Amino acid sequence: MSEWQDLVTASLIGTERAEVPAPAVPGLPVRAGAVPDDPAVLLLDRAALLTVARRGGTLIRPAGSGFQAEPLPVAEPDPARAVSPAAARRLARMLGGEHPDLLAEWLTAVVARGRRVPPRLLPALLDRVRRISPADPELRRLSAEAGGARARWLARLNPDWTFVTALTESGGDTWRLGGKNQRRGYLSALRARDPAAARELITQSWAAAGPERVMFLSVLANQGLSLADEPVLEAALDERDAEVRGWAAHLLARLPGSALGQRMARRAAGCLRIERGVRGTRLIAAPPAGCDATMRRDGVTSRRGGGLAEMDGRTHLLHEVLARTPLRTWTGQFGRTAEQILAVPSGAWAPVLFTGWSRAAMAQRDQDWMTALVDWALAGGPTGTLFGAETLRQLARRADPARCARETTAGPAAEIPLPIRDAISVLRFRYDMLKELEL
Amino acid sequence: MAERWDRERVLALAPDAPSQRTALSLASGRAWPATGAAAGADAVWGECRGSASVPYRTAVDLSGPSYRCSCPSRKFPCKHVLALLLLWSEGSVPEDTAGPPDWAGSWLIARAERAGRASSGEPAEPKDPRAAARRAEQRETRVASGLAELGRWLCDQVRQGLAASQQAGYAHWDDIAARMVDAQAPGLAERLRALASVPHSGAGWDGRLLEEYALLHLLAVGYRRQAELPPPLRDTVRSRIGFSLRQADVLAGGPPIRDHWQVLARRDLEQDRIRTRRTWLRGRKTGRDALLLSFAAAGQALDDSLAVGADADADLVFYPGAVPLRAAVLARHDGGTPDGGPPDGGTIAGLLAGYAAALAADPWLDSWLTVVEIIPVRAPAPAVRGADGGSDGSDGSPGSPGSLPLHPGAGDCWPLFALSGGHPVTLAGEWTPRGLWPLTAWDETGRAVPL
Repeated sequence: MSEWQDLVTASLIGTERAEVPAPAVPGLPVRAGAVPDDPAVLLLDRAALLTVARRGGTLIRPAGSGFQAEPLPVAEPDPARAVSPAAARRLARMLGGEHPDLLAEWLTAVVARGRRVPPRLLPALLDRVRRISPADPELRRLSAEAGGARARWLARLNPDWTFVTALTESGGDTWRLGGKNQRRGYLSALRARDPAAARELITQSWAAAGPERVMFLSVLANQGLSLADEPVLEAALDERDAEVRGWAAHLLARLPGSALGQRMARRAAGCLRIERGVRGTRLIAAPPAGCDATMRRDGVTSRRGGGLAEMDGRTHLLHEVLARTPLRTWTGQFGRTAEQILAVPSGAWAPVLFTGWSRAAMAQRDQDWMTALVDWALAGGPTGTLFGAETLRQLARRADPARCARETTAGPAAEIPLPIRDAISVLRFRYDMLKELEL
Repeated sequence: MAERWDRERVLALAPDAPSQRTALSLASGRAWPATGAAAGADAVWGECRGSASVPYRTAVDLSGPSYRCSCPSRKFPCKHVLALLLLWSEGSVPEDTAGPPDWAGSWLIARAERAGRASSGEPAEPKDPRAAARRAEQRETRVASGLAELGRWLCDQVRQGLAASQQAGYAHWDDIAARMVDAQAPGLAERLRALASVPHSGAGWDGRLLEEYALLHLLAVGYRRQAELPPPLRDTVRSRIGFSLRQADVLAGGPPIRDHWQVLARRDLEQDRIRTRRTWLRGRKTGRDALLLSFAAAGQALDDSLAVGADADADLVFYPGAVPLRAAVLARHDGGTPDGGPPDGGTIAGLLAGYAAALAADPWLDSWLTVVEIIPVRAPAPAVRGADGGSDGSDGSPGSPGSLPLHPGAGDCWPLFALSGGHPVTLAGEWTPRGLWPLTAWDETGRAVPL
């Protein structure tokens, strides 16, 4: 409508200097009667008439009229069901900033149950994962899988989300020619599909890999770690790169049947004993005397630092050994369950036992021990130290919330220590979160 | 003990999204060494460790609600209040039979006393009818002179040329808006204040400013010649100027219309620290559209009784006007209204025809309930394309479904695209002169999804 544009131009210049154009509105009879004397009034009159005529007469813009409105490709159907509305609300809460660190657990559970993220939440999920994923590529893979066909469809519309399709559509060329993140994505996908093939690829590529070896080990850590991976890891203990050695020791300690685990069990065996005396049964600890070269090879550090500053050197060594010792060493040696062992009074040793065993339980994914340790802590156990509080924080995020106590009997509500209140809140959140996914 | 609020209700109190986020991160036991809730007095209090050396002291009177916090934040309620309420809503604040500590107790008692005094006061007496008539007459005089002044101001703008507006600051519109407040025409004042951002709203700002000036001019002319207007149009003119009717008078005056009202869409707006919730309904039997408005000052919760996607069996009374849309709820008949499923989506041609007919009756109408069957497209800005086979001849090319732009302020609308996946969806929203503002879509299971 050029008539309207003429009026706008006149109004920009001002009626002091511009003529007021007389637009014709098709179909509208010209009003008989006096034309206002003031050109400004005349312009406003005509602008009002045209404004309403234009609003009422908005034309549908046909396809191909310069306004390209070609339909988008149609998303392929996804046979998997979306999660329940309650689970969707919880995802929205996490994306809104509540317990964002539990997102990976939520997505893992969704993938394990073959369910899907509801489409409307995908944009917020993909945006969040894109922002944090360089630090957590596993989250990319999980969100791509839990997003299903609809996430792949969206990723083709928004360049920000290409990581979704990059993961699912990469071939062998990606491994030879791709950048570090693409190679990582390829290896993760292969590991998820065929753990042995991924291990074989790592073994072949090891010599030439250089700084990528850490990435290889972190892929092994994320999925399907088994004793079949032991030879690769045991060889890596003799690498020059300290980060590679650290990863390898950490992963071998996670495998209860590994040779490293057996070496640790031998070192640990003399460290703890249960004594029955006149004052009842007690757990007595005798920390290792020192840290030799074979212990250092297995990842034990004698240096103190960080959260461990509150321990003396030998207590720290005890903690390092306990954290890498297969937990069945203790159930076997004492002939008691985890719960029964924790019930034996250990006096001043309780904090180091708690943190050492907790680290072992989390590494070895041992739910019996994790739940027993959480219950111990919630019953007012040994979390008095800063390090103990941090350990409980991590335990509450990994222990099976359905098996743990989710409340405390330690004292009146107003006096419950903060780490315990925080742990209870996380355990309840996770309990509800996992239950909703069964619906 | 008052019924525990759910978290949505607490989060709805937040003055903005950043407050919600910080409150969520503060709402863990770690930050709150001491909290308590009164057993019977409907109050929560707590001490929060913040950046200062002294903990912040936060107390909430749940009956108001009203808040108090020793932090220096100017947001209201502050993040500490929200975090404390979140903790309370998830049951993490222990009941304290010993009662509040002194710092919270004195404030709570003072509040309770004030509340007691206020509620014992008699409701306002009906005023002297002659005095009321005199005041009404005075107001007409003030509005008339205010509108005359506005008319002159508008003429000055187009006489000198709108080009100067781009250099003008907010004061340019605030001054004339303030004079409309003095003239007791708050509806005009609100429209004028909103204009300050138009010169910086991108290409086409000049046309949009002229449109608004022209429509204000039309209102001024309409008021001057109100004696010649049909009564419904006169009501529309007067309500847009700011002669508001009391809801009680509307409810007492109009005939109630009972229907199963589908709650189709909801939009929250904020201006000058007042939040407005617009809830759009459509009657299943009558097919009528209705707009419910609810207002809340910052820190107060908006009316949450009608959830999008549900049906409400209710008597509505419409405010008078040339296109009666605004309504108030007279009574609800809740005998378990079944969820009637998604609404019937119309065509884009039907939407535009309906809006044009409504505009003919109320030329100032700039927000129109829209329920259409569409496929979202990116062209390259987000838009919607009719899902019907073709437009009804309005562009003369059968078989080419038309498309409409989405409102630029609505952003990327990715959730709408994700929901559609390239398939047709039923979409409810507000049609405005700048495009369609999407509000609710229905997914393939027929569930309403707020966008």
